[in-house]
Amino acid sequence: MGFLQKMMASLFQPKQKNEDKPKTEEGCMDIDKRMTLKDAVAKFIQDGDTVYYGGFQIHVPMALTHEIIRQKKRHLTTVESSTDVGGLDILVGAGCVTEIHTAWIMNWYVKAPYAIRRAFNKGHLKRHDISNFGATSALMAGFLGIPFIPVRGNIGTDMPIHNRKDIRFLEDPFTGEKITVVRAWRADVAIIHAQKADRLGNVVSYGTRGVTDEFGAMGTKRGVIVTAEEIVEPEEIRSDPDRVIVPYFKTLAVVHCPWGAHPSACRGYYGLDIRFSQYQGRYERHAELLPEFLDEWVYGCKDHAEYIEKYKEKFGQEGLDRLKPTLGFKPKLDIDYGYHDPAVWKGVPLYNDDRLKAYEEALAAKKGGN
Amino acid sequence: MTAFKLTELMSIRCAKEIMDGEVVFVGVGLPLVVAGYAMKTHAKNMIMCTEGGAIRATSPPGLAITVDDPCLFTNADATYGMLATMAALQRGEIDVAFIGGAQIDKFGNINSTGVGDWAKKESFTYFAGSGGANDMATSGKRVLGILPQDKKKFVEKVDYITTPGFLGGPGQREKLGMIGNGPSCVVSTMGVYRFDEDTKEMYLAEYFPGQTVEKIKENCAWDLKVSPNVIETPSPTEEELRIIREIDPTGFYLG
Repeated sequence: MGFLQKMMASLFQPKQKNEDKPKTEEGCMDIDKRMTLKDAVAKFIQDGDTVYYGGFQIHVPMALTHEIIRQKKRHLTTVESSTDVGGLDILVGAGCVTEIHTAWIMNWYVKAPYAIRRAFNKGHLKRHDISNFGATSALMAGFLGIPFIPVRGNIGTDMPIHNRKDIRFLEDPFTGEKITVVRAWRADVAIIHAQKADRLGNVVSYGTRGVTDEFGAMGTKRGVIVTAEEIVEPEEIRSDPDRVIVPYFKTLAVVHCPWGAHPSACRGYYGLDIRFSQYQGRYERHAELLPEFLDEWVYGCKDHAEYIEKYKEKFGQEGLDRLKPTLGFKPKLDIDYGYHDPAVWKGVPLYNDDRLKAYEEALAAKKGGN
Repeated sequence: MTAFKLTELMSIRCAKEIMDGEVVFVGVGLPLVVAGYAMKTHAKNMIMCTEGGAIRATSPPGLAITVDDPCLFTNADATYGMLATMAALQRGEIDVAFIGGAQIDKFGNINSTGVGDWAKKESFTYFAGSGGANDMATSGKRVLGILPQDKKKFVEKVDYITTPGFLGGPGQREKLGMIGNGPSCVVSTMGVYRFDEDTKEMYLAEYFPGQTVEKIKENCAWDLKVSPNVIETPSPTEEELRIIREIDPTGFYLG
């Protein structure tokens, strides 16, 4: 078996028959997708993959970013709309990514994406620029399973000139007017961070629907790797299903990973670590210094828990304490997802009145007469 | 008179361009400070939309560092998502597209992608990219810009058109089917600019206290036209300065 066949075989093991699968008490499927960060990345991210990169200023999948760097994944292509805190910058700086499709990449706290800038200058990185709505629409088209989607915007600027891979123009078949179209983005795999997930892979994210994670994740060809602050029971999630952005069937791996988005924010858990982003950014700035950051904070830590321990050693528990959010914003709406059981209609006669009865009887007589 | 920074005056003056009750799509950077200020002062009925997906009728509880900052979603009117908030642009429901940038030219085209020659990769210095600025300026009813000024930023032709102003001149936006009307006002660290109705060229309408028309022309790479009615912008009041400093207490944006 060649390398490719082996890889495919390990990815797509023969499907278990339903009767062999573990069941819950109610008898439904209960496949536990929890695993370590290391296993999740080793098992589900292959060299050459296209990866949807989750988050924005919040929920940046930093623990997964570090693990991809640790495992020296290569030739990745990333798709996302906007991403901050330098997560994608260090992923490029570490040599994992050769192609990016993006609207906005920053470490805003040093006002530049330094590693990306250098990689582009040296010709190591193909960068395809598009607007935020263009990117979101591309992910939406992937989510919808259609090949492209029309958008306003991008037209008239330099983006379509330099990014023909994603942006073209068509004649509107209905009006004949020229319209911008963007290619659908369907990643092989998505990496996202969320507040809560259950062992089955239902993912709960709230308070920050700004990120395009639900479209990026659902549009993937293979599925989603999620790190979550907390693992909760499926029945807890099923009690509030409005908040699920990725349902279990799309999820490949669930990693319990507190602080998994640090130094970006996780709504309700911790705020943005501006000082650490600046610290990291000052390393990103210099080609000769960035490897030392990676040695200490990524290669030098076996997992994300060690990274957080290192943080405490170096910058103190008070550094983390400073990130505690102002809480006390529980929803005040009293919501009950009550339902109605149609069994109550059993034995209830049809509602009727004389007019309706007379009309229907006359109609029946007429039909009978024919 | 209290001493003030040019960034403070720029923000306070820019806020006055927002009318009470308008729906404003707020970009990253100084627009976040200015919008927060407007909502706390004369534009209490302003509606704020961001790319991060927040729609809010009240001033955020803290300074949002980016358009996706959790404080924008705390007690928001809707956490609607990037797709849904930005769709309001395409439907033509946004009154003001409010953006920053790195370079601007005389037709109000803005560059936030990078400087140098993109095709010669080694010479191009990448910034962040468009973000939502392109979408906002394409479809917002009018565009309000806020950019620090010097000769490298106010240029004859931007190195990369990220965000359309009037492109090459009158009629070009219409030809491409853009639904927004284009730039209406730009506020810099030196003065206030508007656009000629016929030529679509940016001209100086106000100069800041301490600046002169000559000095401003020196800090602009094209032959800048000046309004015959050019005036000096009034200095900010103590109350105005107090409010703007409250919004950015660490000076993250105002310095």
